[in-house]
Amino acid sequence: MTSLPPLKKTLVEAVNLALAHEMRRDESVVVLGEDVATNGGVFRATEGLKDEFGIRRVMDTPLAEALIAGVAVGMASQGLKPVAEIQFMGFIFAAMEHIICHAARMRNRTRGRLSCPMVLRAPYGGGIHAPEHHSESTEALFAHIPGLRVVVPSSPARTYGLLLSAIRDPDPVIFLEPKRIYRLNKQEVIDNGEALPLDVCFTLREGKDITLVTWGAMVHEALQAADQLAQQGISVEVIDVATLKPLDMETILHSVEKTGRCVIVHEAARSNGVGAEIAAQLAEKALLWLQAPVKRIAGYDIPMPYFKYEQYYMIHVDEIIQGIEETLAYG
Amino acid sequence: MKYFKLPDLGEGLQESEIVEWHIKPGEAIKTDQLLVSVETAKAIVEVPSPQDGIIKTLFGKPGDILHVGEPLVEFEGESQEDTGTVVGEMKSASETNSVSDDHFIIGSAHHRSAPQKRCTPAVRALAKRLNVDLAMVSASGSNGLITAEDVEKAHQMSSEKGEQFILRGVQRVMANNMTKAHAQVVQVTIHDDVDIYRWPEGTDPTMRLVRAIKAACEIEPNLNAWYDGNEMTLRPLKKIDLGIAVDTPDGLFVPILRNISQRDADDLRDGLNNLRQAVKNRKIPPSELIGGSITLSNYGTIAGRYGNPVVVPPTVAIIGAGVIKEEVVAFEGQVAIHRVLPLSLSFDHRPITGGEAGRFLKALMTDLALAE
Repeated sequence: MTSLPPLKKTLVEAVNLALAHEMRRDESVVVLGEDVATNGGVFRATEGLKDEFGIRRVMDTPLAEALIAGVAVGMASQGLKPVAEIQFMGFIFAAMEHIICHAARMRNRTRGRLSCPMVLRAPYGGGIHAPEHHSESTEALFAHIPGLRVVVPSSPARTYGLLLSAIRDPDPVIFLEPKRIYRLNKQEVIDNGEALPLDVCFTLREGKDITLVTWGAMVHEALQAADQLAQQGISVEVIDVATLKPLDMETILHSVEKTGRCVIVHEAARSNGVGAEIAAQLAEKALLWLQAPVKRIAGYDIPMPYFKYEQYYMIHVDEIIQGIEETLAYG
Repeated sequence: MKYFKLPDLGEGLQESEIVEWHIKPGEAIKTDQLLVSVETAKAIVEVPSPQDGIIKTLFGKPGDILHVGEPLVEFEGESQEDTGTVVGEMKSASETNSVSDDHFIIGSAHHRSAPQKRCTPAVRALAKRLNVDLAMVSASGSNGLITAEDVEKAHQMSSEKGEQFILRGVQRVMANNMTKAHAQVVQVTIHDDVDIYRWPEGTDPTMRLVRAIKAACEIEPNLNAWYDGNEMTLRPLKKIDLGIAVDTPDGLFVPILRNISQRDADDLRDGLNNLRQAVKNRKIPPSELIGGSITLSNYGTIAGRYGNPVVVPPTVAIIGAGVIKEEVVAFEGQVAIHRVLPLSLSFDHRPITGGEAGRFLKALMTDLALAE
């Protein structure tokens, strides 16, 4: 018997692969959302699932996010493992009541009698010339809520491993998929059911001059910046945070102890973002190693512009390089 | 192969310092073409490319220390393509700007270098103002914290006493080996002189010493041995692989002249010259620097009568040869002026007795005293 070579997959195909794998492995896993069944999802993340698993496990819902989240909470607390899709993250606000007031505190409120093993998948982020409320990055809202895990994958392989973990996790996970890089890269993804740990950062480039911390679609620009700087002899350690809540500060601190300098990049608006939390913890725990102030390169504190001006909002490789150079030149 | 990792360069060397890249990112390289020169603990080693390809990334620059197994270079991957239905304008694979993201570490990377020195921003600013390198400052605060006082003291030391520097490469190896030797070996050194008046004009002292060591090892084979102090085992060695200390501007090297008992004088002379030349050019392979069974330090080519040469484990003996001088000697009941070679023999007294060492030295002297 010969084994087939592993197939190259895009990030969105890796989502599909992980969903199918886990649905085959665990009958309690169900998928629901707008257009996820017959249509296969607007991004094709759930393509083919209805054909394989049927309409009892792959359910089209009305265009009603409060309903999707509420049904998911009900299913999860009663023994199923729902993976609900919010078609764009901008539509998630109608579901906040269920996410924050029920999903996040189900285990605590019932003193452990019930738990809420649900995954809420939502494509998020800008850069695809979509309307403004399709393009925001509001991950900090969820990272602020005790009881939620917030996971953002950034490559096909990590998407596969992290989504498996998210589905297997006994508590609610907000799984935010950076849609700008849904199809940007292809990578070998082996469908072996091996999950990646939640709550751990990934070190994508080892370096010793500066630590570059980011997540989601910005990982792509961060790696480009690191590779360009490597040509000039600047060695950048690139960390993909991946799980924003709970935050693996240990890996970031370990790196900053070595490099003494840190730049955080996120597409989300600057103020009160996850970058601010990382910077604050570095100030608390790594002050004595820092050789320069921690710099944030982040989105503006404005509503996402309409797509004509979107490119001015998005963070480009040059800005990351400039920020790194400024931080290296400090002191 | 996408990533070529620093291979094991042998003899348990776990780290290497990059000396020079022989290729730039974007350039094509062929199998076995020279990729990088690295300095191991003992020599400069040329690392060839394992495959044909285009170099995408070089990991590290000259002066960086790499550990075995860490990526050295990344090769360009094959181009990729993709199609797909999207909402909005979504870029797809095979765009020119795609970056490699196949290799990642779960959690943090291993520390390649020592962690940063810890100090408050104010102390860091002080060091900057006084032009003090924090790496050179010893910390007096708790948990290795550098205080303002430490920086001021370091500044004062530098301006009053002169700058210090960190030992690198072979100097570092020497320092480590000597520390280890001092900690482990119970060393005794005995001294004597050989009257070499019989030597014909133009006799090469080094080659005579090599021959005499061979003769002495035949009398006392236990001095040509490796000793393991933990297991308390002595391994007398079948071959005599003589380490010869060579002084260079870069530091001390001890290349190994192999199997001296089975080779004739001309062959040994050529071998020795080749080793010296290789050391001088820093092209000696690490394999030629390890596995010595006994050592000769011919410091007499510089200065010094008797020495106290240090036995480096696992060997158990080292012979020191001092400056050959004319001396007043008692010769056949008369006062005479002869050329005399002073000798020093250090041995590890844990496995070797004074009697064995004495008989070894005597055999050494007997052979050296011969005319030819």
